[in-house]
Amino acid sequence: MSAGDVNQALLAELKANGADFFVSVPCKLLDGFIPTLEQDNEITYRAVNREEEGLGICTGAYLAGRKPVIVMQNTGVGTLITSLCSLGLYYRLPFLMVISHRGSPGEPIGAQVPMGTSVESLLKTINIPTYMYSDPADVKKIGQLVPFTDVAESPVAAILDYDFWGAR
Amino acid sequence: MRRYELLQSIVPVLTDEFIICNLGFPSQELYSIRDSDHNFYMLGSMGLSSSIGLGLSMEIDNTVISIDGDGSVLMNLGTLPSIALEDSKNFILFIVDNGSYGSTGDQATQTAKGTSLAAIAKASGIASSVEVPGEQAAETLAKCIKTPGPHVIVAKVEPGSPKLTPIPMTSLAIRDRFREAVKQAKAQA
Repeated sequence: MSAGDVNQALLAELKANGADFFVSVPCKLLDGFIPTLEQDNEITYRAVNREEEGLGICTGAYLAGRKPVIVMQNTGVGTLITSLCSLGLYYRLPFLMVISHRGSPGEPIGAQVPMGTSVESLLKTINIPTYMYSDPADVKKIGQLVPFTDVAESPVAAILDYDFWGAR
Repeated sequence: MRRYELLQSIVPVLTDEFIICNLGFPSQELYSIRDSDHNFYMLGSMGLSSSIGLGLSMEIDNTVISIDGDGSVLMNLGTLPSIALEDSKNFILFIVDNGSYGSTGDQATQTAKGTSLAAIAKASGIASSVEVPGEQAAETLAKCIKTPGPHVIVAKVEPGSPKLTPIPMTSLAIRDRFREAVKQAKAQA
């Protein structure tokens, strides 16, 4: 699957599983996926300034019956922990986080590695169901996480690395 | 006038608006003055009242009012440009500005030392951004509800709060009651 195909395929699977409201904070690994979101007329999509703001906007959308997805870089998990706990987990908000994994093998920037190494354990420490994907063929499994947020009645995280995005 | 009296003064101008209320004392005070299935009480996630209200305003026709605080808005200034860009006609950010972190012991915020949140909101692109004395806030809010937004109202009041108890509702009860009220409003629209 080419890099362009994985972006289209991922969005198609997320939509097919009910996701209809997206926010994003930029990442180099998302430089193909974010334009894919921007160009899709069937979803609501907004760029936001910070992950916490995105969580807030998604909460408002969820309260009105939408199915939100936060698209973000793994570094943003650091700014999001408190609100994930006191809003996302405490109110049991079912939304998906699609998280690009900087600081994993393929990473050219050393400063990304500490957070890249910690992100999975940080999410698991606060009991967010967290799954790692490296293969573009896993887009179906990632799409199935959208209804799984309702089963879990919880925020759910999918962490997608360099190989998933075809970036090395 | 403190926040409690300010909230008492604005309740008579409310009808079918949906309210996102900031955590801590503001939610306890609103609960004690006028509980409603149109109220969403935050219990944590300081700073996100404005963002939650913005997201809700995108999805419903009713007016959405985020009751926020100066300290909380200072934590999430980035959402002001987002409010401007979204341009929701039905969104009002109502900032209770008492110059202090009221729920944590009334430590001073920067607004007590000269920072103007109305000016920041205006510079962010929200044309209808005003600062008013708390005594005039209800009248200003009534006008804003009747005119297309987004609006930012900064109501200046004194610090201090009456002694209240935590809201006797679980987070899930708050969530589900509010979602049902939004669902019914959307069905009637």
